[in-house]
Amino acid sequence: MKKIALNINGEEYVVDINEDMRLIDLLRDKLHFTGTKEGCGEGECGACTVIMDGETVNSCMVLAFQAEGREIITIEGVGNGEALHPIQKAFLEEGAVQCGFCIPGMVLSAKALLDKKPAPTRNEIREGISGNLCRCTGYNKIVDAIDKASKYLKEEGETK
Amino acid sequence: MKLETVGKNIIRVDGLAKVTGKATYPQDLYMDNMLYGKTLRSTKPHANIKVDTKKAEKIPGVIKILTYRDVPYNHHGVLFKDHEVFCAKKVRSIGDPIAFVVATCEKTATKALEEIEVEYEELEAVFDPIKAMDEKAPKVHDKSNIIYKYQLRRGDIEEGFKQCDVIVEEEYKTSMVDHAFLQPEAGIAYLENDTVVVCVSTQYPHFDQLEIAEALKIPLDKVKVINPAVGGAFGGREDITMQIHLALATRLIGRPVKAIYTRQESFVAHSKRHPMIMRYKTGANRAGRLIAMEATIVGDTGAYASWAINILRKSGVHATGPYEIPNVKVDSYAVYTNNPFAGAMRGFGATQVPIAHEQQMDILAERLNIDPIRFRLENCFKKGSTTATGQILEESIPLERTIKEVEKQMKKSVVGGV
Ligand code: FES
Ligand code: FES
Repeated sequence: MKKIALNINGEEYVVDINEDMRLIDLLRDKLHFTGTKEGCGEGECGACTVIMDGETVNSCMVLAFQAEGREIITIEGVGNGEALHPIQKAFLEEGAVQCGFCIPGMVLSAKALLDKKPAPTRNEIREGISGNLCRCTGYNKIVDAIDKASKYLKEEGETK
Repeated sequence: MKLETVGKNIIRVDGLAKVTGKATYPQDLYMDNMLYGKTLRSTKPHANIKVDTKKAEKIPGVIKILTYRDVPYNHHGVLFKDHEVFCAKKVRSIGDPIAFVVATCEKTATKALEEIEVEYEELEAVFDPIKAMDEKAPKVHDKSNIIYKYQLRRGDIEEGFKQCDVIVEEEYKTSMVDHAFLQPEAGIAYLENDTVVVCVSTQYPHFDQLEIAEALKIPLDKVKVINPAVGGAFGGREDITMQIHLALATRLIGRPVKAIYTRQESFVAHSKRHPMIMRYKTGANRAGRLIAMEATIVGDTGAYASWAINILRKSGVHATGPYEIPNVKVDSYAVYTNNPFAGAMRGFGATQVPIAHEQQMDILAERLNIDPIRFRLENCFKKGSTTATGQILEESIPLERTIKEVEKQMKKSVVGGV
């Protein structure tokens, strides 16, 4: 057993962990952030994507103790309360969601991309989600949605 | 008539829950006092087995280990009851379930799996469906390996081939395909008074309910199946995987029991797309008209039938492709082997045959020195066409238009991607 402190979606947590616990187990089993999904457990599918200090990571490939002192964003931390984040809005409008199992990871990869690069090309979008597998949509609508989200974010910026 | 939905962009009802991460898949459910289940699976494709769970039962934290002895009616399956809930005497493919360990945590359950002793007495196995059709081949179940034959006849096949100027004979094979839906199988079962509740991602909740009730020998109204969010399925969730194991465990133990398959276990636990061997003989005349086609299609259904009959029937029905051929003979077979079992997957038997009929079309066009697109337009189904099964197509046959559109797009030489 070990005690670690970390920040998840803007809140501080101090938790007991086992040394061999993965970050995904801490998030899901201990803290019930179940929006983070496990599709493969070996770094292939990206369903478990979270943002750690601004970078996407596969939370199945990170041990919980490695998250000590880090800032984590999960899908539960995207958007604020009632209001959807523009990425989520665009995913809904474009019909980019089917079974939904890849979607939290996709939204987080899109967020990490747009945070760094607000107006990506379609190729850059594809690159940005290249670590996330989707078995349902064929990706096109997801790319459309991220493209649209980038426009929403630009409009938001202009009105501010 | 004023249409309120057709033709409009509608936001899907479960979309909001899915973009916010709130949609609940069975692995997202946690209950007080919950136990974890892990399945012991066969590592041999064909063997008699003896199972000893005594050592594993002694591990602290192991609550119960279920085997065939615990199952009131040890059979299930969508068409034939040819699956065993847990193999009793014999395993028929790698991945067959043998036992289900229920423990206080996943780690303990996994440790217990290693301590279960399985004695395998290996039997000769058959992996090639053509060999499996031979009377002398090892029997996967105690009967012929050929479980289904579909025959389709139209016109006079011999006469038809006599009229052909070109005949092409080839054999085509397709491989096994996994659905690889993104959400691995997961479920949780618990008791609500004397009702067994099973939450599981499934394509077939009402049939799961029936199969659980049959296996447990309890009335149908004492089984409730809840289907939360399903993380993709594509046909791969039409057969039972963990449903009966979970229901039985919770009924015998009285506590909630949860199970999640790893990706690796998911691959061995559910069905595959049927690999097919397709022998085709197709003939046309010099004018570019298809005259006759003969096809023999063998589908490898692995150790269990699942939907093999419906699937090989569909392959037979679609064997000509979307082309009008006056003389047709098709035989399609579904065959048991000791391979992983095959069942429903997108297309349900209609997906494999184009590999064969479209290559036949290309080869014929080349031999006849006709443009392959013209050749297809000449022979494709149009309004009023009669299919090999005798159906007269009266409406909505946009194939000509589709082929022409494809031709137009091909000529534009678009560079890939979106
Ligand atoms: S679950 Fe982590 S990458 Fe697939
Ligand atoms: S929506 Fe099903 S995997 Fe992407």
